Amino acid sequence: MQDKDIYILGIESSCDETAAAVVKNGRETLSNIIASQIMVHRRFGGVVPEIASRKHIEHVLPVIDEALKEARVPLERIDAVAVTYGPGLVGALLVGLSAAKALAWAAGKPLIGVNHLEGHVFANFLNDPDLEPPFLALVVSGGHTALLKVTGYNSFEMLGQTRDDAAGEAFDKVARVMGMPYPGGPEIEKLALAGDPKAIDFPRAMLDNPFEFSFSGMKSSVINYLHNQEQAHRPVNKADVAASFQDAVTDVLVQKSVLALKGTGLKEIVLAGGVSANKTLQDKLAAAAGSAGARLVHPTKILCTDNAVMIACRGYYQYVAGDRSPLDLNADPALKLG
Amino acid sequence: MLTLALDTATKACSVALVQDGTVLAAYDISINLTHSEGLMPQIDQMFRRTGLPKGKVDRIAVSIGPGSFTGLRIGLAAAEAMAYAWQCGVSGVNTLEGMAWNVPVEGIVLAPVLDAQKGNVYTAFYTWQGGALQCLTDVRMLSGSELLRQAGELDRPVLLLGECLRLAKRESLPQNVTVAAEQIRLPHAASVGLAAERKDMLSGEGLFRLRPFYYRKSEAEELWEKKHPAG
Ligand SMILES: [Zn+2]
Repeated sequence: MQDKDIYILGIESSCDETAAAVVKNGRETLSNIIASQIMVHRRFGGVVPEIASRKHIEHVLPVIDEALKEARVPLERIDAVAVTYGPGLVGALLVGLSAAKALAWAAGKPLIGVNHLEGHVFANFLNDPDLEPPFLALVVSGGHTALLKVTGYNSFEMLGQTRDDAAGEAFDKVARVMGMPYPGGPEIEKLALAGDPKAIDFPRAMLDNPFEFSFSGMKSSVINYLHNQEQAHRPVNKADVAASFQDAVTDVLVQKSVLALKGTGLKEIVLAGGVSANKTLQDKLAAAAGSAGARLVHPTKILCTDNAVMIACRGYYQYVAGDRSPLDLNADPALKLG
Repeated sequence: MLTLALDTATKACSVALVQDGTVLAAYDISINLTHSEGLMPQIDQMFRRTGLPKGKVDRIAVSIGPGSFTGLRIGLAAAEAMAYAWQCGVSGVNTLEGMAWNVPVEGIVLAPVLDAQKGNVYTAFYTWQGGALQCLTDVRMLSGSELLRQAGELDRPVLLLGECLRLAKRESLPQNVTVAAEQIRLPHAASVGLAAERKDMLSGEGLFRLRPFYYRKSEAEELWEKKHPAG
């Protein structure tokens, strides 16, 4: 039992969302403020790093102010400032990190640097009060696809990751080839609702290592398919392409996850990262985990995308473990998981 | 009134404490260490060494640009966050103007320059008169040779400040133009703090209006606008 409540202020600016949040005792969300830039980047077809950084500097303090006000926790009452220091866009990370360091130092609070990917995994603790390590995590986002064994609140073991494209990256590239706006993942998912997932048989790369992924071949086969249809003047049913592609990606993710569940003997698997919002992935993984005698936990939609609640939650467990970051903490755009 | 000043617009990481026209402390590092790693430790060490209580700061003065985009944002994010924590005011100072405060000398024209890449510089001409700094031109972006041509046409001595070494090495300087001595050439937070003492402060929610002065749009926007002319 804790003798007093612990309040962590989380700050996140690794990509195109400026976010701040206050979390109580690691599990209770008191505020979750996000300034999204999706519409700013849409005309460029993807996130432009310099523009993202410019938006972050405009939003970072207002978002922090709103998070504290909405939580009704004054800055003096905050126990520590947790901030994403990687991975991500370096210029974007530096805005949140610089603000966090100065705020923590000026207010006399400890600073805790958080790995953004670990934050995504920890988003699950905010949804499920019963979730505790050990469990398996499938991390799927625009930059990462990995199977991670979470053995404790501060210990992780990487089982395997993608050798080439991340799953979310493949979604975005296929969407772009089909002329859909950025971000492409949710657009593919929407379009797939009207298509037949068995219409086109795209290859499912399984590889020798049971826990590693490869999505670049799958992406290329979709692009080749579209190209061949066009060359032969055959019509393309975009909904079928979207549904079949999504089916292929989720098949691989689910099969590898089940192998990892069986291999580790773990009884819980969590989804983490932007692609964890994909409903087809959630449903297929829940069913497959169920058949393997395991349970799926996934974040609510708002916690699947980048946010600061997950950063504050991750920061809380680092805080109670005595983990503190120095004032010269730098951004690490290629920070690794596990 | 106690002012904490910072300048991270160039490779120089400079912090200072200024009080009513007096420089209490100044700490400059200009050997290409990252501002992200250096800025807060430098500020922390300055407070420890002077023993001044950090809660007593009335104003943060920060160099807002032109300059390195990333450097400016590191300085502004820190300035805004400290002002927010201490509930004090913040004043933004143009980086070129800050350098003109390095040399408060009448009878000459000051031409601080900052590298704008591809042979271009950001610059403005200043002069001191009756103890006040006068702006002779707006901030402009021009080629290094054009700057020297304009400076050569002036009827007074011109002192180049800032990122002007490469320019002076590449081109022969007009007779009335010289490069400032090394100890006054680069941005110094002490000058930024002194300049800020004559300026208004943003405070309360006004803090959130503090913005870098980039001078130009991002490359992506410039390209996009070229491809999509208005109309
Ligand atoms: Zn993310």
